[in-house]
Amino acid sequence: MSHTTEITADTVLDDAVDDLPAASRARRLPFSLWHLVLIPLTFVLIAPLVWMLLTSLQTHAEATHFPPVLVPEHPRFQNYADAWAAAPFGHFLLNSLIVTLVVLVSNLVVCSLAGYAFARVQFLGRGALFLTLMATLMVPFQVTMIPVFLIVKWFGDNVWDALGIDHIGALMLPNLATAFGIFFLRQFFQTIPVELEEAARVDGTSRLGVLFKIVLPLSLPAMSTLAALTVLTSWNDFMWPLIVVTSTDQMTIPLGLSYFQGAHNTQWPLLMAANVMSLVPMLVVFLVAQKYFVQSVASTGLKG
Amino acid sequence: MIRSRLVIALAAVAALLLASCGGKAGNASGPTEIAVWNGFTDASATNFAALIDRYNKDHPDVRVTQLMTSNDLVLQKVLTAVRGGSPPDIAYMYGSWAPNIAEIPTVTDLSGYVSQPGWNWDDFYPAERAAATVGDKVVGVPALVDNLAVVYNKSLFAEAGIAPPTKDWTWNDFRTAAAKLTNSKGQYGTLISGDGSEDTVWHYLPMLWGAGGDILSPDNQRAVFNSAAGVRALTTLQQMAVTDKSIYVDATNANGVNLMNSGKIGMLVTGPWDLPSFTDIEYGVQVLPAYPGSDEGHQTISGPDNWVIFNNGGERQKAALDFVKWITAAPQIQSTSAATGELPTRTSVGQDPALVAELTQKVPGTETFIENLSNVKKARPTVPQYPTISQALGQAIVSVLLGTAQPADALNTAAQAADAALAGK
Amino acid sequence: MPTESLASTGTPRPSLFQRWSDGLTGWALVGPGALLILIFGGLPVLMSLTLSFQKSDLLTADAPWVGFENYRKLATDPLFVEAIKHTLVYTALFVPGTMLVGLLVAVAMNRSLRFISVYRSAAYLTMAVSTISQGIIFMWLTDQNYGLVNAALNTVGIESQPFLSSPSQALYVIVAMTIWGWTGFAVIIYLAALQAVPVELHEAAAVDGASRLTRFRTITVPLLGPANLFLLVWLSINALQLFDEVYLTTRGGPLRATSVIVYYLWDQAFVQFNAGYAAAMAYALFVVVVIITALQFRITRKYVHNA
Repeated sequence: MSHTTEITADTVLDDAVDDLPAASRARRLPFSLWHLVLIPLTFVLIAPLVWMLLTSLQTHAEATHFPPVLVPEHPRFQNYADAWAAAPFGHFLLNSLIVTLVVLVSNLVVCSLAGYAFARVQFLGRGALFLTLMATLMVPFQVTMIPVFLIVKWFGDNVWDALGIDHIGALMLPNLATAFGIFFLRQFFQTIPVELEEAARVDGTSRLGVLFKIVLPLSLPAMSTLAALTVLTSWNDFMWPLIVVTSTDQMTIPLGLSYFQGAHNTQWPLLMAANVMSLVPMLVVFLVAQKYFVQSVASTGLKG
Repeated sequence: MIRSRLVIALAAVAALLLASCGGKAGNASGPTEIAVWNGFTDASATNFAALIDRYNKDHPDVRVTQLMTSNDLVLQKVLTAVRGGSPPDIAYMYGSWAPNIAEIPTVTDLSGYVSQPGWNWDDFYPAERAAATVGDKVVGVPALVDNLAVVYNKSLFAEAGIAPPTKDWTWNDFRTAAAKLTNSKGQYGTLISGDGSEDTVWHYLPMLWGAGGDILSPDNQRAVFNSAAGVRALTTLQQMAVTDKSIYVDATNANGVNLMNSGKIGMLVTGPWDLPSFTDIEYGVQVLPAYPGSDEGHQTISGPDNWVIFNNGGERQKAALDFVKWITAAPQIQSTSAATGELPTRTSVGQDPALVAELTQKVPGTETFIENLSNVKKARPTVPQYPTISQALGQAIVSVLLGTAQPADALNTAAQAADAALAGK
Repeated sequence: MPTESLASTGTPRPSLFQRWSDGLTGWALVGPGALLILIFGGLPVLMSLTLSFQKSDLLTADAPWVGFENYRKLATDPLFVEAIKHTLVYTALFVPGTMLVGLLVAVAMNRSLRFISVYRSAAYLTMAVSTISQGIIFMWLTDQNYGLVNAALNTVGIESQPFLSSPSQALYVIVAMTIWGWTGFAVIIYLAALQAVPVELHEAAAVDGASRLTRFRTITVPLLGPANLFLLVWLSINALQLFDEVYLTTRGGPLRATSVIVYYLWDQAFVQFNAGYAAAMAYALFVVVVIITALQFRITRKYVHNA
């Protein structure tokens, strides 16, 4: 079988189910019953987002109500312009984009190499190294942030200025590879049938070749998932930029958002407007990435 | 496939990095650059930016830049920066951190400077000077002053048939009013922050002082808030919270202002910063009540914040001192108050009738807060263990508010913890 | 287990040279990642260990060496014991809860309906929404007087609950709030895993007459092994280090009911200025997390389909 259309377990089941008389009646409805489940579910999940949107259109007076005013009387789209003007968000956006892009590419490359090695290559000390890398996830950032600061400062002073404190290089440096990415890809690579790889190796393909020609093409769902998650974490990172950046021109978007949070008052409508605007790039990334979430059977090369 | 993408990406990034670093050129022979870290928003931010512009124009040999950050997190940022060897020149820091900041070696001791005539140190309100002084060291110059008073909802008072509070009212009057203002439809007489933090504690302190008590003994060696006066003050809260159920105990400390503005709270003990938020109600401001039989009067508490100056070497420190001296000089305080509605930090400015009138016209009730500054007689002790003491006291207060402990027991437990902290270090 | 020695494909056992070159390749492949992580993750962890043997307030450079005193204090600190208890209870509820909800939602979303990308984007976006917004919504929903949850409870005759204002309920509300916040993440992970389940297996079983549920149980669930392990470990590591949500809502209260280890640690370091003590606490937590993670790997080894 070589279907080239999108195949999921569900469409196959629907085909099979076609032959059963009673169930076929359900398929006469103009829409799938699943929508009735998914819509309320989705609404519950995105309730915070809806609240953010509504608040971003309120006036300051409306936002200072409790219980909260749900729908603003006159939606104030001006908030978006005001929020944009309150701080150099254009520059922050550029910084965030650069940092996130570098961190993304670096993670995808480095973590897939390492993840594959941990999943499939036997080498001395593999287990111990893996546990050590995982262990770095287990001490809270609040404690490690000062040592990391000192290390990054050292890099800035001794290796390259642009990597040091108060440069966006410092925002990238500690995040170029994460144990999370390695762990995630290792798990995923383990699910790829080893027979495929062995067949290629018998044919004389090198390890690296197997990785690029066999494993990675089959791993698009995992890689795109990792990409989406990496972008998310990097884009929303707040604590580390807060500590490392001291000049306005090196700030990223989350730092810019803190412009709206004063000691006693927070300007909720503007803060939410800025928040919504900062979500848009991530949404774009996700919409692109999720095209690859679905595994096209044609590319697997699996024989029947 | 992946390799070529990677090469292109890296090249692009390298180019961008080099480009974006252009702004950090060394300035061996340019103006002295000093950085001010602060968390101003809104009108305060606009005003401060304007002040910086003016100063930079008048002083071509100095360039003041600012970094905007969240006030709550300035301390973490400063600590990391200090440890990492890159502290700012000036930072806006909460007064409650003063005793701990005093221990940072790079924080400039201003006692030698502020005693000089040009500073008019005594023109600052006494509470501010107390909050900036730790032992012999002066760690900052007052940047902000405020105090607590009672903001009340005039319409709710009228509906409940209660006369609005007068200057001579007592805590008994407060309790009665709160009880009458509470109904079964979600309306409460008053609200208090119930998260056990310093916010909870500093609402209790004026009551403690008003009853004749104090936090620590005069030599700062022992806790004395579990005295009879302390118990009396906490019992008032207990009566309102547990017996009358007229207090909304806000455990998340998030909704007080909004609830007040929505007409659900009769009286709110708060500061001048909240007045601009009460756009939907008709409010009045009155000083805190006094305890009958006590001659402590209508005590209140102030939470001044400081400009802290770090010693980054001769030129920068000189520039920093000069800048702070300028922005805290009377003319600038006057214009800042007028622009932002904040209370003036200098007595001379606070007594200027024209300014008071102008402020009150913009934000009604400001005049009461300014007058109330003369009711600030005591300040929190500037000992490094204060955060621990505050936490112990905060937990005690919350346990009484929630009805899980009796005032005397709760205060005694807290006093023990406080004594241990004072002795331990 | 060396995968190369599986007899199924008839490949002969690798020679010594093969194993040696494998070793080199392995190290070359993990090299860049391992180096980066060891420098920026491992080194700070070691440096913090040093801090735990000192008495430091982070303000002054002088940090006298006090040996194990911080750890000794920790062992007899009732507040620390309380924080451990809360953290463990929280983790035990949060991790299975999130995995279950995430799996159910992922299964619901694992089909090619119209608008399916809208639903999936919604799941992703829940992770993009800041913790602040989630916190505010939950604080409002569970408000004792004006919250929607209590309004709903009242209509069925249950009286209003204090939720976050109650020492006995607050922790459970945080559990619910964080499950809600992390569901999107679990959904994304499970979706990636479900997509990788070979369709042919389902087709073959369907032709054999197996019901959908049976097919799910016998084919899909075992193949979700690696994803399950991943979520189990990752969610546990995060749960044991819970901080943001507590900081934003209850600040460890009311009456320390939601005081979890990292919050107590942060309070010690940045409010009470006992950084050395906080570092010792972080290490105690570290040991706990390592043990739990190692156990998780061990126990699930036989359930994870390792090929």
